[in-house]
Amino acid sequence: MGEPLRAGVRAALPAPGGLASGALLLGLLALLAAAPAVLSPYHRGVLAEILVWGLFGMAFDLLFGYTGMLSFGQALFFGAGAYGAAFAIFRLGAGLWGALGVALVVAAAFALAVGAVAVRVSGHYFLVLTIAVSVLVFLVLESGHWRWITGGYSGRPFPAPPITLGPVRLPLTNSLAGYYFVLAAVAVAYAACHRLLASGVGRVLASIRENELRARLVGYSVESYRLLAFAVAGVLAGLAGALYALTAQYTNLAFFHWTVSANAVVWTVIGGTGTLLGPFLGSGLVILGTDVLSAWVPHFPILVGALVLGVVVFAPEGMVGLLARAVRAR
Amino acid sequence: MYVVIIRGQSQSLDTVSTATIGYAAGFERVHRRRRRPRESATSVTLEAQLVLFGLNGLVWGMIVALIALGLSLVFGLIEIINVAHGDLFMLGAVLAWYVIQTTDNFWLALATVPLAVGGLGVVVERSVLRPIEHRPIVTILATFGLSLIFQQSVLATFGGSPQRIEEPIRGVIPVLGTFYPGYRLFVALCSLAALGGLWLVLFRTRWGLWMRAVRQDREMALALGIPTPRVYMITFGLGAALAAVGGVLAAPITSLEFQMGLDVLPTAFIVVIIGGLGSLQGTLVAALLLGVLEGLANVFVTPTTARIVSLVVMAVVLFVRPQGLFGRRG
Repeated sequence: MGEPLRAGVRAALPAPGGLASGALLLGLLALLAAAPAVLSPYHRGVLAEILVWGLFGMAFDLLFGYTGMLSFGQALFFGAGAYGAAFAIFRLGAGLWGALGVALVVAAAFALAVGAVAVRVSGHYFLVLTIAVSVLVFLVLESGHWRWITGGYSGRPFPAPPITLGPVRLPLTNSLAGYYFVLAAVAVAYAACHRLLASGVGRVLASIRENELRARLVGYSVESYRLLAFAVAGVLAGLAGALYALTAQYTNLAFFHWTVSANAVVWTVIGGTGTLLGPFLGSGLVILGTDVLSAWVPHFPILVGALVLGVVVFAPEGMVGLLARAVRAR
Repeated sequence: MYVVIIRGQSQSLDTVSTATIGYAAGFERVHRRRRRPRESATSVTLEAQLVLFGLNGLVWGMIVALIALGLSLVFGLIEIINVAHGDLFMLGAVLAWYVIQTTDNFWLALATVPLAVGGLGVVVERSVLRPIEHRPIVTILATFGLSLIFQQSVLATFGGSPQRIEEPIRGVIPVLGTFYPGYRLFVALCSLAALGGLWLVLFRTRWGLWMRAVRQDREMALALGIPTPRVYMITFGLGAALAAVGGVLAAPITSLEFQMGLDVLPTAFIVVIIGGLGSLQGTLVAALLLGVLEGLANVFVTPTTARIVSLVVMAVVLFVRPQGLFGRRG
């Protein structure tokens, strides 16, 4: 599927490590760090949620935008992370860091298991396979046998452990502490992702996206690199799931549903495919739009569909591309 | 907190009212408790159960065949994976509800709704998909945008609560020593007729000849003066109409709501994959095979587990024959 991808995606590939983008990112981070001062607790929660879903979208984009694998299965790893964290807390009595660790390990295990099969096929088969595996896992979990873990549709509420940093203990339920916890985790994940993509591995992934056959002929083990990307994306999605579960203090079977994966597609496409920032912009736009505009614009979700369509057809680089073009034109 | 819109999997037809045949035929797969053969054997023999569940599977398989054939037809010709295809099925069912609400005539719905949805398909192909032809990823994302628009438009007008339609044919028919609802047999026959119609179109009309020609060699067909763009348009419309026929037929035996396409789509994908992408015979065979297999599995295991059967079949087929049962190695 490498061939047709080029049209939309390559143009938006940022120059990793460029000074301007670095300054921009630091500015953005400072803005996000300062934001709680002017926000109500409710809006801090909304912003934290945008960050979490943006992280989820970024994980998807690592697969789709950077490696050329259109996956509708990312919700699996989101769910795995969420339930991993919850399980560690209510069964193993783990603290916050233990819960995060378990979540990432569970998500990685899921991603490696699914990826081992999925990376062998490409193109349309990959897309359909990821949907099918999502449906399969969802059905297995939905069937009664796993209720002791999943809690079924009613979800499983659990107490959030405090954030422990040496002698300091902060309650995660505090909107300020929760927000900064999420912001820090997302910033670290973003930096790690950025670092990975700027490295040689990132170049190989891009080469697989651009021309799988050529990458193979040059001598790269395409499957190994795709599995690596799949696993990293799975772990990042798992982190997003764990953050969501920890801050919301509940998990739900619905996290595993493939329509959750579809959300990541929407946010990434709207924000900008093949950029790390795009998914955050996309999730911000859609969630704020749903939150704010719904009051004035009836049936805002129709607009989201139209937006996806419009962006795909007329502005394949998404919001990031449009912004970059606006800056260049000035 | 931002709510993920999700719903339970209720993919497939509902329970026949116990009054009609004195026994729940078990279409409802989710919340039903496991039926132990020994308990139910007091009223219904195992043979009768096998017949009933097998027929249920066959009926559902016919409907899935209609949907999946449209998907397969469009893919074979235009190489578009139409993510909105499940929503065309949903539109068929919902429009049927509207027609029946206003005219109280199911047969009118069966005659007009497929035409309307087919027309919509033609318009969509011409206006949305034509400009982005031959860019597979972009078309997948565009149809995903369409899917959101269709769903949300129906949500806005039809509402979120499920609706039902009365079965237009009442009464039961004796089949192999047991009784089966007449309407469901009619569904099977009607689907068969629609499939026969499709075969006639493909193999006995000029447009069908053109479709097959374009499918084989697009450039050559173009060189011979076949109006390829119009063939695309008609094919997409035909696929949409087939899905709508499935929707109208399924409307009286399932519950109607704006997300009903979301459950059908993965099933149709799985069928198309098992049959071999783009192979019409393969799609048909796979749909019927899976339908009956799943129906029979319902006798012995929980409905959820029965659905897993089809996914396991897909996994096995993909490992043994990655190109599907009838697919050509490519």
